[in-house]
Amino acid sequence: MPAFDAFRELVHFVLSLTIMREDGGVLLQHGPRGFDLGNIVGWFGNDRVPLTDGRWLRVLVQLYLDAVDGGKLKVETSLFQYQLDEDAECWVFRYDYLRNPADQHPASHVQIRGTLTETAVVPVRGPLSRVHFPTGRIGLEAVIRLLVEQFGVSTNEPPEVWRPVLAVTEMAFLRIARRSISGPQA
Amino acid sequence: MSPTTVQLSRDEILRRLETGARSRRGMSAGELLARYRKGTLEDPCDVADLLALADLLRADDPLFVAA
Repeated sequence: MPAFDAFRELVHFVLSLTIMREDGGVLLQHGPRGFDLGNIVGWFGNDRVPLTDGRWLRVLVQLYLDAVDGGKLKVETSLFQYQLDEDAECWVFRYDYLRNPADQHPASHVQIRGTLTETAVVPVRGPLSRVHFPTGRIGLEAVIRLLVEQFGVSTNEPPEVWRPVLAVTEMAFLRIARRSISGPQA
Repeated sequence: MSPTTVQLSRDEILRRLETGARSRRGMSAGELLARYRKGTLEDPCDVADLLALADLLRADDPLFVAA
């Protein structure tokens, strides 16, 4: 399906310009269900993309063709997780988006595997890593910028090359991205 | 089909689901999906990758019927 392939190529392209190690890439997976749904994932095991800092970005974007909306390509789920190890036991942060969340958590959220400095505050669900902080829609471009600008991950191309590219692709994403309220309606 | 596109077989998907569900949640893939469908799976977004993998199966796959 051309739309799936184009999306995969775009993800690969922005990662190649920026934080992905030379031997990295993303795959498009289909299964017995057919070609109306596919997962774009990092092509190392457990959906990992190798980064220039020796760490990993776990990437998963599930896409589907919406038959009731003219066959438009839409995102069902996205997941971007910065992690130190292959098995994701040492993860740092994760941005999730679920078009149809099955629980009370915000459809778009970030989780941070850290510790609260203020010990008098105890989240209801235990450690900080289990707190789902609501966010707006976060695309891959925002995660790349976060890793570069805030975590010091080096890029394959200079800023004057990748910044304009990410600006164009992120603006295009934000123009059409579905936005959700921060929890169930009832 | 380009080398950057793969079509996973049912067996391969089931193998990955079983491995992931047991190592990360200590349960079978069938139980994980059953709990998800009943709305009793805690923090499903933590296993969103497994749920996305299961979505590649046909809707009438026996794994879902069992769930």
